[in-house]
Amino acid sequence: MNIVPKVLVTKIGLDGHDRGSRVVAAHLRDAGMEVIYTPPWQSIDAVVKLAIEEDVDVIGISSLAADHRIVPKLMRALRDADVASVAVIVGGIVPDDDEAALLEAGVSRVFHPGSSLDDIATYIRSIVPALRDARSVTWRASA
Amino acid sequence: MRRDEPPATARLLAGDRRAIAHAISALENDAPGADDLQRALAPQLGRACVLGITGPPGAGKSTLINALLGEMLARDLCVGVVAVDPSSPITGGAVLGDRARMGEHGGHDRVFIRSLSTRGHAGGLARRTDRVVDVLDAAGFDVVIVETVGAGQSEVAIADLADTRIVACPPGLGDALQAIKAGILEIADVLVVTKGDVPGADATRRDLADMLRLRRGGSDVPVLTTIATRGDGIAQLVDAAIAHADRHGRGQRLRARRNADANGERVARLSARDPFVRALGIECIGGGPGCATTRLRIAPHHVNFNGGCHGGAIFALADAAFGLASNSHGTTASGIEAHIAFHVGVREGDVLTARATEIARGNKLATYRVDVTRDDATLVASFSGTVYVSARTNEPASAEAAAPPE
Amino acid sequence: MNKPLDPAKLAPADAFEQWRREYAEHIANDRACENRSGIAIKPLYTSDDWNGARDDIDLGYPGHEPYTRGIYATMHRGRTWTQRQLIGLGTPAEYNARLRALIEHGATAVSLIPCNSVFRGYDMDEVDVELLGTCGVVVNTADHMDTCLAGVDIARMSCAMNDPSPFTLLAFMLAVARRRGVSFGSIRGTSNQSDYLSHYVANHMFFRIALPGARRILADHIDFCVRHVPHWNPMSVVGQHMQQAGATPAQAVAFAFATALQNADDCIARGMEPAAFLPRFTFFFDISLSFFEEVAKFRAARRLWPRLLRERYGVDDQRSLRFKFHAQTSGADLTRQQPLNNVARVTVQAMAGIFGGLQSLHTDAYDEVLSCPTEYGARIAVATQNVLREEAHLTDVIDPLGGSYYVETLTGQMEEEILRNLALVQNVGGMYEAAASGLVQRLIGESAQRFQAKVESGEQTVVGVNAYRVDEGASDRPRVQKIDDDAVLAHLAAFAAWKSARSQAAVATALNDLARAADAPTANVFEHVIAAAEAGCTHGEICATLRRELGFGHVQAIV
Repeated sequence: MNIVPKVLVTKIGLDGHDRGSRVVAAHLRDAGMEVIYTPPWQSIDAVVKLAIEEDVDVIGISSLAADHRIVPKLMRALRDADVASVAVIVGGIVPDDDEAALLEAGVSRVFHPGSSLDDIATYIRSIVPALRDARSVTWRASA
Repeated sequence: MRRDEPPATARLLAGDRRAIAHAISALENDAPGADDLQRALAPQLGRACVLGITGPPGAGKSTLINALLGEMLARDLCVGVVAVDPSSPITGGAVLGDRARMGEHGGHDRVFIRSLSTRGHAGGLARRTDRVVDVLDAAGFDVVIVETVGAGQSEVAIADLADTRIVACPPGLGDALQAIKAGILEIADVLVVTKGDVPGADATRRDLADMLRLRRGGSDVPVLTTIATRGDGIAQLVDAAIAHADRHGRGQRLRARRNADANGERVARLSARDPFVRALGIECIGGGPGCATTRLRIAPHHVNFNGGCHGGAIFALADAAFGLASNSHGTTASGIEAHIAFHVGVREGDVLTARATEIARGNKLATYRVDVTRDDATLVASFSGTVYVSARTNEPASAEAAAPPE
Repeated sequence: MNKPLDPAKLAPADAFEQWRREYAEHIANDRACENRSGIAIKPLYTSDDWNGARDDIDLGYPGHEPYTRGIYATMHRGRTWTQRQLIGLGTPAEYNARLRALIEHGATAVSLIPCNSVFRGYDMDEVDVELLGTCGVVVNTADHMDTCLAGVDIARMSCAMNDPSPFTLLAFMLAVARRRGVSFGSIRGTSNQSDYLSHYVANHMFFRIALPGARRILADHIDFCVRHVPHWNPMSVVGQHMQQAGATPAQAVAFAFATALQNADDCIARGMEPAAFLPRFTFFFDISLSFFEEVAKFRAARRLWPRLLRERYGVDDQRSLRFKFHAQTSGADLTRQQPLNNVARVTVQAMAGIFGGLQSLHTDAYDEVLSCPTEYGARIAVATQNVLREEAHLTDVIDPLGGSYYVETLTGQMEEEILRNLALVQNVGGMYEAAASGLVQRLIGESAQRFQAKVESGEQTVVGVNAYRVDEGASDRPRVQKIDDDAVLAHLAAFAAWKSARSQAAVATALNDLARAADAPTANVFEHVIAAAEAGCTHGEICATLRRELGFGHVQAIV
């Protein structure tokens, strides 16, 4: 079965610069993925709801300024909503100290400015099969 | 899945959002267990009012849907939305941006939005959109809205998917209006002129009303104007949609589907007992009421003395689709005349697809059009044909007594 | 033929031919070059390309049409560009300390960047505390503004407020002016980035109120300032956002011009005289690393703008025709890798801006890409300007690149490319329509993708990123400025106390008046914003009221 990765590309927090996230979204589309793209300033609740409804594989957070500082809140909200086997990656300006904290909070990977778009796409493709397996459900004909 | 959770199907029918989303994914991806899932859902179908919203790009469908959500939420309804975006034919990828325009109400917990991409399926819908709608119906949503990109005749696909078909047109379409009218206006149950505050909106509304007069049953179709950003006309649109659903009954789409399934199965059976078609290597890949699709890969023995594909092979392919489509209703149809025009050269190795659709069907005669395309979407030939329709069934009760095809 | 020929014996055409042959012979692999705006660049420019024959039409003299060489007769020799470094950090007290230090080191003007929460139209108690004060100062009231400007003579200092619609920061400053007995007539500066259209299509952070409302409030703002704050520039048209978002340099100028014309049309539509408001229009541009392209871009813009104004409005006076602009070195060109290289980049960018004839300059700090710039980085940025001016003597000659075959040719080509892009927008009915339909966003997005493709393929080198890479660890990067969380929490606490102590009745009345003004098409909303500021309303309250009446500013998500 041909897996088409489903990726959410979004921004939480206050910053509005979205050149990076738009370029990444276009690249992932050109790499054969389905990308849900939102405007900036999504609330954490909205991101959780979207991730559930769309059954995404990966949540890509684009962060400049200090918006990465609330990513741990997003991780907690995802756990509280029982959203499992969805990877969160952060792209943008993240100081070194904060990167360690993000990884500890459950973020899968941080991509810094200058990261290659191909690397991002390759990384996503490499992690999606295992995420899908973990999320797969057994359906039975009778309720 | 956690061990202490009730089975997924039970959770889905209780409206659990994660279960609904996983079910949609399973159907979208043809995952193992999808058939079991469909069987589990079958008894629960037919309660939701399914609205199909289509129209040309630029009509503001997503903005309109956002306004509809607001109105429906105010009426205490639970609404599911299926938003379909086109995939790139080259990479297979897609940007699904429709739900971003429904952000205002999309965050409400009585709203569920799912984005699908077409993944190469024609007609502006994803291949399994009908099954995705079923999931939301079974899960208990009062209304399910399906949004699709539309312009042109392929959007007839939404006709079978929805109980109530809403077509949204931006003001000032002009020439584009002519192009879309054939397919889309034929299927509309409600017409909406969006962006009603833009100059030309009123003229567009009048044009559409005029065109409806030419259509059978057209006077029953309301033509409304909306300004979604201000909420103007939205309540009236919801009223019109619900009125239509009440008049024709919910679950209309299921009845149409049962007919279509029956027709599709019939087409497959007919094709299987056609020696000529088999000898040429033509296969039937789809069919329904009044329609059929056949396919042929051009092999060395289909080639003529000039090295190109023999016109007779293309004719046979189109004629096969024509014959199956005209016989799909279960009565014997015999060809009276047929015409083909060849547009571009075809070579060995090309894969051709012929799609037959019914143009008109009366008591004695019926006419069909068949478009033959190559796998790069080029139209290689156009075929038209007329049949004489008899009342005789083309599927006698016993297999041995099968009458020879005429 | 190996014996060198005596050039004096050759006709000019033959000498050129000889050069061309030798060039072709000796060049290892000649590559086709094009600049960021898509213009093909040759290895050599000669009098065949530009020969000064139309000197008076193309070039002229500084301070006179066609203005190519400068808008003033003296340019930087007479008055140096304004050293306007953007600063904003944390609390008003921290900001005030940093500001006074900068003034002591030579900064000649004030600028203020508010916190992202302010940009988004919220008060500090409406957002996640982790996000406060990280990139700008948290100013929510007139009192906060008073603290920011403590000890600063606002009657003499020029202030630039990064202050989008509905211009609450200026409102706070005018409230402070009244408190200090300073007349509005003495207040000078700019509503930096007041251009709602550029916010809508790029750098969306500043876009707060739906398009029609934003359009109306800007016109109100310009109207009010023209009448009551005559030394204030209420209109800062932003090309920088679009270039940062990926627009080519020519596109950035074209779209900025389209925006300016749109705003001018709107002012005229409500009865204002062009000569009254045009002198108060300023521009704000990015300066990229494409050195000669940027110089040519600014010269072309300066020549083109007065022509557009004449054609469209029949304007005649110098004050209206002068193309005044502030420029900032482009952060989009800076890298996280080997950050000290950014000092070199900023130097080149600044030079391009200086040779381009800017009126005011902001140089980025080298650590801008890692977080908000440190004081150390900011100091180097200012020093860079001082070095260029006083050690390299770059300003001793006005328009020193004028007359260069290359620069004059390129100036003409950039002008054509700007006009071509401008036509795309004007053909769909102007910038407002083009932005509302998403056309401009798509064009910018395509340019961004094209440039990124060049970086990904290596065609465009980025030192330290796709070439000349070095293994670096955290220790190779400068320490990032840490936010003083305690100061922010104290600021929050003080704010809460202040809110409960103020007159709720006065606030309620003022907000009510503001709401009614928003609903009345002939009222001046900005006037009521000032009244609300003086009555003790907060920034968030003012924005919320206007968003409720005029619609929340949603942006389009276009890939």
